Amino acid sequence: MKSKWSIIIAVIMAVTMVVTLSMVGCKTTADETTMAEETTAAAETAAEETTAAAEETTAAAELSGELRIVWAQWAPADYLQKLSEGFTAETGVKVTIEQIPWETFVQKYNAEMIAQNDTWDIIVGDSQDVGAMATGGHYVDLTQWCTDNGVLDSFTPASMTYYAEYPKGGGQYWGVPVEGDALGWAYRKDLFEDPENMEAFKAKYGYDLDVPKDYDMMLDIAEFFHDPDNDFYGIAIYGDNGYDSMVMFAEQMIWSYGGDLGDYSTNQVKGILDSDASVDGLEMYRALFQYTPPAFNDAFFVKANDAFVAGKVPMSCNYFAFFPGLANEATNPYAADTGYFPCPQQVGSDGVKRQFAALGGQAASVVTYSKNQDLAFAWLEWFIKPDVQLEWAKLGGYTCHADTLASDEFLNATPYNAAFAKSMEIFKDFWAVPEYSELLTTMSATVGPYVITGTGTAKEALEACAEEWTRIFIEAGYLSE
Amino acid sequence: MLRGRKENTSTELQYRALSDQALIRAFVLPTIVLLVFVNIFPLFWSLILSFSNFTAKFPLVWGKNPKFLGIEQYIRLLADPAIWGRFITTAKYVILSVGGEMILGFGLALLLQIKFKGREVITTLLVLPMTMSPVIVGLMWKLFYDPNWGMFNYLLGLGKIDWATDIKYNLYAAVIADVWMWTPFVMLLALAGLGAIPQYLYEAAEVDRASWWHKFTKITLPMVWPLLLVALIFRTMEAFKVFDIAMGISGRGATAPQLLSIYLYDTAFVNWKTGVGSALGYIVLIMIIAITNIFIKYLNKAKQ
Amino acid sequence: MAAVNRKKVSVTRILVIILIVIITFVYMVPLLFVIDTSFKPWTMIKEWPPRIFFKPSIAPYIRIFTARTVYPPGTTLTQEQIDNMTWYQKIVYQESNEEIVRRGDFPLRYLNSLIITVVSTAITILMATFAAYAFSRFKIRGKNDILFFILSTRMLPAVVVLIPIFLMFRKLGLGDNHIGMIILYTAFNLSFAVWVLKGFIDEIPIEYEEAAMVDGYTRFQTFWKIIVPQAMTGIAATAVFCFIFSWNEFGFAFIMTKSRAQTIPPWLPYQMGVLGYDWGAAAAGAVLFIIPALVFTIILRKNLVRGITFGAIRK
Repeated sequence: MKSKWSIIIAVIMAVTMVVTLSMVGCKTTADETTMAEETTAAAETAAEETTAAAEETTAAAELSGELRIVWAQWAPADYLQKLSEGFTAETGVKVTIEQIPWETFVQKYNAEMIAQNDTWDIIVGDSQDVGAMATGGHYVDLTQWCTDNGVLDSFTPASMTYYAEYPKGGGQYWGVPVEGDALGWAYRKDLFEDPENMEAFKAKYGYDLDVPKDYDMMLDIAEFFHDPDNDFYGIAIYGDNGYDSMVMFAEQMIWSYGGDLGDYSTNQVKGILDSDASVDGLEMYRALFQYTPPAFNDAFFVKANDAFVAGKVPMSCNYFAFFPGLANEATNPYAADTGYFPCPQQVGSDGVKRQFAALGGQAASVVTYSKNQDLAFAWLEWFIKPDVQLEWAKLGGYTCHADTLASDEFLNATPYNAAFAKSMEIFKDFWAVPEYSELLTTMSATVGPYVITGTGTAKEALEACAEEWTRIFIEAGYLSE
Repeated sequence: MLRGRKENTSTELQYRALSDQALIRAFVLPTIVLLVFVNIFPLFWSLILSFSNFTAKFPLVWGKNPKFLGIEQYIRLLADPAIWGRFITTAKYVILSVGGEMILGFGLALLLQIKFKGREVITTLLVLPMTMSPVIVGLMWKLFYDPNWGMFNYLLGLGKIDWATDIKYNLYAAVIADVWMWTPFVMLLALAGLGAIPQYLYEAAEVDRASWWHKFTKITLPMVWPLLLVALIFRTMEAFKVFDIAMGISGRGATAPQLLSIYLYDTAFVNWKTGVGSALGYIVLIMIIAITNIFIKYLNKAKQ
Repeated sequence: MAAVNRKKVSVTRILVIILIVIITFVYMVPLLFVIDTSFKPWTMIKEWPPRIFFKPSIAPYIRIFTARTVYPPGTTLTQEQIDNMTWYQKIVYQESNEEIVRRGDFPLRYLNSLIITVVSTAITILMATFAAYAFSRFKIRGKNDILFFILSTRMLPAVVVLIPIFLMFRKLGLGDNHIGMIILYTAFNLSFAVWVLKGFIDEIPIEYEEAAMVDGYTRFQTFWKIIVPQAMTGIAATAVFCFIFSWNEFGFAFIMTKSRAQTIPPWLPYQMGVLGYDWGAAAAGAVLFIIPALVFTIILRKNLVRGITFGAIRK
């Protein structure tokens, strides 16, 4: 009797152990079943494809399954979901767009790719990350596909370079631009066009108050409006050095003044990043930053928009993706009086006029480990169609499709689209090497104190940064000591 | 089976001991196995990793990724002044927050010694912060601190101080939130200690016409001390590891207080320097063990 | 003399009580502010000075449950379109000019939180009760060492084990997975539960069992029929503690999960919309999220001290 009991207990405990501990095993089998399902699904679609003699577009009608796309958690992802309903209607393929919060988005899809999981078929990944993903073998090389489908001609060249190409200038493409983005400016028309302001400005600076033509003029305007005693400030620009916000503004200033972050093809940094032209740019950043509202040392897109909406600044720099918030009359009392302009030109110390905007935005890439690559390609082929691109723009997506960008329908759709179209011609991106996140961190750390508090000089800050970057490149084996 | 029955009838005790052994194994083993699987095995794994330059971002190539650096990694980390800066910040955080919690918690407990109607309601209300998620507490305080519309500056009449992200204040912002969240913990322990003091000690002191201060230092404090030490140990260990409150308030990166724990997270899961992260983890672990051991020794002394 | 003294005592007594009430109120202010914010209309959230009284809006609660896009500038809806809206669509439209495009992720994350927390608590309690009983009643070789080992696993900084667990779970496909999170939380709470439950079982007089065993009960029967019912209060209290710990856990969830098995804590802070950070929705989500923990705290208040000290202190 008693021994029976102990046997029963032992059995129960064994079961508990098996259930709790060997869940690992259970999971694997569960995974296997889903994987089996997927493989059969993939096999089916593959079979269908072969029966369709793999004719280019005819297969589209016979596709089945589910296409899984991952993007950050924000409104454009919802636009894309809405847009993809059209694809579903055409092909019957369900499209799911998984959204991950921005703060962890890059990190999470990296983790998934490192594990070589087939969680998604398409990643709408960050532009700077394309190098890491391409060299890691996580993205499918789309060069041939892009040539075949004319993507290189139909999308703006700059967008292909910065969203899709790696290494830059190497002619290899890994993605299709989905959401173009760049830094642009919003300003308060009512303040800029106020006769009293115009008169006072003219009296003080000797020329007319207007949309800034270069950064020198912008500095004057910021100084003119800056009035901390009345809780009003000159300008809203990024100050956060957490991820890439400060670096985005800094690089834009550096380029505008004729400097550069380094040579993207040789990875040479010293002598370029710390050149006099780069120093000029960074000094202007510092000069402008003095006219920001208090507590702007962590300002990113949220704070920049908040300050503008609260009526505390006459102009604000932000990504175009966040301008719908400013144009919304329900949440911005100044929406009707808000105008937009692209980053201004600047004449550098060498007398050359330049115009640059720092780039944001993401491109869609096909995942190497995906079992639904046929669906992914079908979706991409559908996505690049001109009418779909126009629809995309209408929904609120920022297209990089050249013809759509140039169309009147696009330019007049919103108050900021014209400025956006211009920005698509002048934008430029940060390093896209796999080590970019370290480069971001070190640049923020070295340049941040100078810009925010004026610690040291611009030259020292950039020299320190160049030193660090060179070390990183040597460690990565791009440069020899 | 037959033999078993024989033993059963002949020596009841021995049989029971045997059956108990099976029972013990069945009862205890699952727990041990799970803990080994989820704690001990990873602990050794990360020890090995901590001597390598492994980065989870790139595929495994033996001899290159990971390459074993031996003790060199630790030497490099410990020689890095930036790490020491973070260590000092962490120490500041621990001392300030735990110190604040001890003083406030004990003070509250002293006040709450009075019995009155609704005392239990008050205690329960005061305990609420402790049972919230630290990251939600961080989020709440981030809202509360906001220089443009938060209540904190407004109520204190402080003007536009940016508590959450100004490098001058963000450490204190995290400390205040931590104190808010964990003072009830110390308070509860102190209350338990105060409640256990035999009343006759006070009565005897009353007869001696002892002053309030005398009673406090000679009876209350020594009697509650061991419990306060327990609270101190628990809080110190936790405060060392904590990164959710600070992260909830200030995010990560340069705007967050430069705590070791946040840096560790960034190293391991943002820059994917798995090996370095593991080594840092071990440094933190050794520090926690050292500090708790000192406290525990002290606690044992106090108990005697 | 005595009367004066008593009067003095009662005056200080009242003063102290008033002081306590004031402190408690001040202590509650951050929490009250969040509740306050969760009912604020969009444009009032970012006002200075912050408003305390206003006409409450339910919109933040609608926003946390939905995903929205803003109507493009210049869009004007016809009266008919507005009339065709559901009540919640109308509220959101009128307050922030947004269109609800789908259900938000909040309900799913909440469900994940519930599933992972409840299942892991159940498994923890089952395993811990067995183990605690064994540790309480039997002579086990190296018992103290084993108990210390169990305790020490809880004291480890999670980050040290997190890296290998991350690598291991990634390989096993347990990363963004309910079962993976349940295993983690079970292990995380097990040490705590064993210690606290052992304390509760230690308190049950051994005589009951001896009497039962004389009556012919087996060990397991005594455990099941005597110990478990006797320790039920303790088991319930421990379960509530495990629930609160798992419910609030952030670090593991933040690193291990990304969407499918993501719980609320790593998700809630990120309420970024086109219109900026949505503090209203975040506050509403926070309020909804802390309700279960608050309820359980109130249920648990008598056993709190015991729980937070791993059973070291019994009140």
